[in-house]
Amino acid sequence: MKPVRFDYKRPATIDEACGLLASDDNARILAGGQSLIPMLSMRLSRPSLLIDIAHIPELTAFGETETHIEIGAMVRQAVAQKSEFVKTHIPLLAKALGYVGHPPTRARGTVGGSVAHADPSAEIALVAATLGAEITYRVDGADEIFDASDFFIGPMLTIAPPTGCLTRLSFVKAPAVCGTGFHEVAPRKSDYALASAAAQINFAAGSGVTSIHLGIGSVGDFPERLDVDQLCGTPLDDSAIADAVHAAMQMVETVEDLHATAAYRKRVATELAIRALRDARGEISKDLNQ
Amino acid sequence: MTEQKYKFLSTPRRPVEDRRFVAGRGKFIADLDRPNMLHVAPLASHYAAAVINGIDASAALAMPGVVDVITGAELAAAVQPLMNGLNTPNVRRFPLAVDRVRYAGEWVCAVVAESRALAEDALEKIIVDATPQPFILDAEAALLDTSAPVHPEHGSNLLLDRKFVWGPVDDDFDAAAHSLSFSVTWGRNSTVPIETFGVLAEWNGWDQMLDIWASIQMPKYADQIARSLDLPGNAIRVHYDVDVGGSYGVKRGIKHSVLVGYIARKLGCSVRLIEDRLENMRAGDAHGPERKFDITIAFDQDGTVRSMKMRALDNAGAYAGRAPFQLGKPISAIVGPYQINSVAYHALSVTTNKTVQEAVRGFGQAPTNYAIETAMDRVAEYLGMDRLALRQKNLIRKDQFPYLIPSGSYYDSGDYHAVVDKVLTAADYPAMLAERDRLRDAGMMAGIGIAACLEPSGGNSSFEPLLNQSNQTSTWMESCQVNIDALGKVTARIHTTSSGQGHETLVSTVLGEVMQIDPELIRITRPNSLESLPGNSPVGSRMAIMLGGAAARAGEKLKAKIMAIAAHRLGVAIDELRYEGGDVLANDGRRLAWDEMVELAHRQYHNLPDGMDPGLASFDIMQVPTGDALPVDDKVQMYPCYSFEFHLLLVSFDPIIGRPDIHSYFIGHDCGTVINPAIVSGMTYGGIAHGIGAALFEEFAYDTNGQLLTQSFLDYLMPSSHEVPAIQIVKHCTPSPHTVFGQKGSGESGYLGAPAAVSGAINDAVSGLGIHFEKLPIRMSAISDAIAAKTS
Repeated sequence: MKPVRFDYKRPATIDEACGLLASDDNARILAGGQSLIPMLSMRLSRPSLLIDIAHIPELTAFGETETHIEIGAMVRQAVAQKSEFVKTHIPLLAKALGYVGHPPTRARGTVGGSVAHADPSAEIALVAATLGAEITYRVDGADEIFDASDFFIGPMLTIAPPTGCLTRLSFVKAPAVCGTGFHEVAPRKSDYALASAAAQINFAAGSGVTSIHLGIGSVGDFPERLDVDQLCGTPLDDSAIADAVHAAMQMVETVEDLHATAAYRKRVATELAIRALRDARGEISKDLNQ
Repeated sequence: MTEQKYKFLSTPRRPVEDRRFVAGRGKFIADLDRPNMLHVAPLASHYAAAVINGIDASAALAMPGVVDVITGAELAAAVQPLMNGLNTPNVRRFPLAVDRVRYAGEWVCAVVAESRALAEDALEKIIVDATPQPFILDAEAALLDTSAPVHPEHGSNLLLDRKFVWGPVDDDFDAAAHSLSFSVTWGRNSTVPIETFGVLAEWNGWDQMLDIWASIQMPKYADQIARSLDLPGNAIRVHYDVDVGGSYGVKRGIKHSVLVGYIARKLGCSVRLIEDRLENMRAGDAHGPERKFDITIAFDQDGTVRSMKMRALDNAGAYAGRAPFQLGKPISAIVGPYQINSVAYHALSVTTNKTVQEAVRGFGQAPTNYAIETAMDRVAEYLGMDRLALRQKNLIRKDQFPYLIPSGSYYDSGDYHAVVDKVLTAADYPAMLAERDRLRDAGMMAGIGIAACLEPSGGNSSFEPLLNQSNQTSTWMESCQVNIDALGKVTARIHTTSSGQGHETLVSTVLGEVMQIDPELIRITRPNSLESLPGNSPVGSRMAIMLGGAAARAGEKLKAKIMAIAAHRLGVAIDELRYEGGDVLANDGRRLAWDEMVELAHRQYHNLPDGMDPGLASFDIMQVPTGDALPVDDKVQMYPCYSFEFHLLLVSFDPIIGRPDIHSYFIGHDCGTVINPAIVSGMTYGGIAHGIGAALFEEFAYDTNGQLLTQSFLDYLMPSSHEVPAIQIVKHCTPSPHTVFGQKGSGESGYLGAPAAVSGAINDAVSGLGIHFEKLPIRMSAISDAIAAKTS
């Protein structure tokens, strides 16, 4: 379990990182290393150049606009978890971060690294896909923005440009009244999940429920956003939620491995999606009932 | 209480070893560095079975820093096959595959290089020309005549096929009102040490000496290396003063050690091999029993269990290893803690194209306990009887000890009913039942698990002559040396490595108790194998009994000498003296202090009794108590002592998610007189955690191509602190009549019953649905799927 020999560079700017990336077809970016380093040790990943972006100041910052919260790619998961920005404006992400790995891995692992790595059971990727976050890459000196809802296309596979460097995630601020729910199931606490679900119900005084976001992860090749728009006009009772989730899950194909059957993943993802929506509803029940 | 008669024994004393481990000052193989040390990386087979046509290592050898590439053919020409203890001369095993690979991960050749990283680089350049062969993974299939033998020269896959009948099985079955049959399977799992196996060998040609430092827990280790390398026994010097980072049976390391021993001698150098986790999991000595039980049990309407027929089929993997003998140890407790009058036992061990099975905590006892306890649950279910009441009815009673079981062993002592009662009280059993029912009413699946079982202890090897009549071994000793220096300080030597058992604490506590001096002042050392007395290392839950026994006896010998010196000096008979806190007191009030007697022994030969040798030194080589005889008529006294444990736990899970949550866990534990309470409790907590792993998580699973799916901690799941509940240990003490203080073994405690208990709890939870889980581990997916199949 010794990595293949590689070069190591520690650029000071994003453009320097992009230049290094362009200089070597077999370069990889190191953004926390909680997945990549074990892969190097097992020789599953064999880069000739490792570009450590931990020392680029602008990648570790949060940003705020009137409508969005921006999280730098190198913001550590533990920092994001404690961030008041995240708690206030991206409550679904705040909930999900507690499920990411363990405290020691969250101390090193980064928000952007997790998204770029695209593990099918990654919680941050699930929240990003569910909420349609914007993923910004720097490519050839310019920013290119992707919608997280269709960014992930397979296990460890995204539509990211090969010579791009992920610089930030941007989430729409949650409305003042919004409910969220996040559930996942794993054999042991913080294992790679067998199924996970994220839900957010946005509410506006006067217009009621304005949008419902639901996503599932860990059951297929990538996190998927499910369409439950049909729920918007309903009273959001248990049977309406169950019907909408069952309908949305019909198209979902689940995978099988040593730890769980495909049928298990489908059954449990359905249940977790229902529970996530119910949790979200519960958080705004006061407003819903007015 | 017996505890009160001791000054140091059974008192809460901090283990001596903790200091260096907590401070990070242990000395492990990876901490050792020798000048110009070379490193080894083995090349693993991709195939489950293949014929090796040729190996081209030229590109690897041309790489900078690469010193040598050793092939199986080279090694087999230079060393003897590894021993296995069976009469299977055509099941030959060498450290590297010879002509043919028999499991995915088997070592094909080994690169020797200036660093481990360079060696791994070179592995990628080796070209192995191999032709894949048919392979077999399932033990039942391996038994069929139509299946190709893993070792064609051996003619079949059978390593062991022994049928035993103890007592009137047919009569008992005829007389019984009922019988039932079922099958259960124990999944292939292990103890997983934090430190993988490592060995460092160094050949010194001028001394003709092979020095070895190794992370071992292995009886007769030096002997086996010497035999395999064709070296005199006194040309192997194994250094026991290294720490071993966990084992519970799996730190065997013979193949690794023969390989690096050969390399060290060939190249005249120091060479080290430390397994990485991948090597440990797929080709180390990591895999434990994988065993299918077919059981028929005969019983009466009132719940009296009369007789049992057990067929145990073990999947040994590609070579003989220690697997077959792990079917032997359970013979010593084949009826568990129950009054079962007769037993028919059919023990089968077969080769397959899986990793070789080696010794794991309990040496096969935990799987057998799981089968017996499942039988008790099934009988209760059949009769509609309470599972607890059924056990209480069949448990051996206190007044029946020593109790002779059908297979020839006497259980030494116990009070099983008392332990059960204590646990029921501590757990508030009626409240536990009420909580189970409350959870069920709330829509959860909830169940209570119950398991009673024994820990045979004292580490004899009588299963070897029992299973292999040509083996005449009855000796299974342990030893200790003690010296009091000229300044009056005590040093004891132990002749083995320790992998967390606390042997230094054990020996200093026992000697302190015997000599009545503060254990903190006693130094424990570990000489190398050439300076050691014979022993058999910590296996079979034996060291409290055997090393503790040898240390106590060596201490008593010293005390006797001190008394003789004092009697001579004071001019009185020995029976007019008493030993008190290191001093000797005469009935007339005169006192000889410790320092004075040390002075006499070390400096005043003229004041010693006639013919007495000077100095204060002693040693003891102790045979296993009750280990007097070879088997007769397929029966033998196997272990001297039998510890008892009784598990009781409450589990619940969501019927859709299926993830078991253990609410409360109680264990009643009677291992006789406890020497160090913290060590015994630690063993028990860890054993239960290990058992939870076996029941729910841990398995070395293979895919249909014979590839090991669980090669890292990503897929080989062990319970973490989140999955192990708070455990309440309920203590009881029934001293053994066979040991110096009444102590029994505890190194396997917890693990021997926890898998059965956890399985029982989950089965209780789904009993209303008519579901039986018949294989361990019981994964959450299987739980949910089974419930869905019954309820949809």
